[in-house]
Amino acid sequence: MQNITRIYALSRRNVILRYKNSLVGFFWGFFKPLLYLLIFIVIFKHNSGIPNYVLFVTSGLVLWFFFSNVTGQSVGSIVSSSGLLKSLNIPAFYFPLSETIGELFNLLLTLLVFFVIMYWCGMVYSFKLLLIFPCILLFAIFALGLNLFLCSVNVFFRDIGIIWNTIQPALFFLTPIGYAESSIDPKYKIFIKCNPIYYFLKLGRSILYDTVAPSWQMWSNCLIICITMYIIGHFVFNRLKNQFISAI
Amino acid sequence: MSTDTIIKLENVHVSFWQNNVGVYSLKDLITQRKSPFKSKTILNNISVEVKKGDSLGIVGRNGSGKSTLLRTIAGIIKPDSGTVTVNGTFAPILAIGAGLEVELTGYENITMLLALYGTAKKNSNAVENIRDFSELSHEVLSMPVKQYSSGMVARLAFSISLANDSDILIIDEVLAVGDQGFQAKCLQKIYQIKDQGKTILFVSHFPDDVARICNKAILLEKGEMIHSGNSIDICNNYRQLF
Repeated sequence: MQNITRIYALSRRNVILRYKNSLVGFFWGFFKPLLYLLIFIVIFKHNSGIPNYVLFVTSGLVLWFFFSNVTGQSVGSIVSSSGLLKSLNIPAFYFPLSETIGELFNLLLTLLVFFVIMYWCGMVYSFKLLLIFPCILLFAIFALGLNLFLCSVNVFFRDIGIIWNTIQPALFFLTPIGYAESSIDPKYKIFIKCNPIYYFLKLGRSILYDTVAPSWQMWSNCLIICITMYIIGHFVFNRLKNQFISAI
Repeated sequence: MSTDTIIKLENVHVSFWQNNVGVYSLKDLITQRKSPFKSKTILNNISVEVKKGDSLGIVGRNGSGKSTLLRTIAGIIKPDSGTVTVNGTFAPILAIGAGLEVELTGYENITMLLALYGTAKKNSNAVENIRDFSELSHEVLSMPVKQYSSGMVARLAFSISLANDSDILIIDEVLAVGDQGFQAKCLQKIYQIKDQGKTILFVSHFPDDVARICNKAILLEKGEMIHSGNSIDICNNYRQLF
């Protein structure tokens, strides 16, 4: 019970800190996907050949920005919490965890707003949409695993944060967010299939855009990726965590 | 371990990784498989026993491992070898302002730290107690901590740590800042805590304070405990270092 209180206190801090001193605060969370949505509409809509393109892009962008924000925030989570880590005996694991929870909270609010936008763009309201929650849960566990890896290695090599920010745009374009998967030359399709985020995006999109229950194949793909990533992250984090204090 | 022993350290050894990464190291890392870290001993073979109600002073030069020893006792740092046994609860370590989030207001920091420390709900007037003890006004506590003076930060940090009703109080050089009135108030509070039979670990560079507050003390030098015993003797040993 005490642990839940602590994780809640840290997550709350993250949500407050995120938009502290900013002009429109929380609404920045919507502006970024909206801006990208506009760019995509202007540049790609005409030639995309995708019916209901706006809904197609929006469903991808919401998931992508959750991933991009949560990893971007968590990379430095251990380093920036040095004061707390040095003065209180609390598990270092709580810091990336609370970043992920704080960002999940943001995602839920973003989804609320985008559900209105997406309805207006032709999304069909149905109970199948509730499947987005287990999908988000899998995606969040995957992101948490990656965060554990990133934030613990970042303690010792601060360039991890910079490297990650460089890789992110590449991942963004390797994920079929604004274009159809079929528009890729089959020769190069392997690159997209190597991108783990692709599978989560596909899962989420089949719920939000196609409004169908995804196949077991898609669920199990995501489940395997998310468990593998979490195990890797957990292992690396636990190997390094005893030396965090010496390096922050 | 007898029942009145509250902290016991046996042959504790703590080492940190030291980053060797320089301009050439990425190449070295790949070609020579050289480890990017080397291990540096911070605490070597420390054995201490503290009885309930004792106040232990820890003195030594800068970098002799005092803060690391406190963190090891508090469980923040895990020793490489040796055992640390503690039979009580800790207040957060009182390094100056550490743990305070500068972007948050004083009130937000109080609620967060109380919740992190797990005493928030039990004592509903904890926030008022902290405000009263720190003598910071409502306006000040509503400001972000980054706008505080260092004395105000120390007041807030010290008051938050005292709000936790814990068995062991750890004080790490906190009396160095803060005006005279607050210093006197802190000392008074420390004596009061001592009279309640609680255990105090006290790190300071002022031998007089250590001699006044503590009954026992240890002297650290380069990670080793070179003297331990009565606080007045140890303070004399400490003065002879310089």
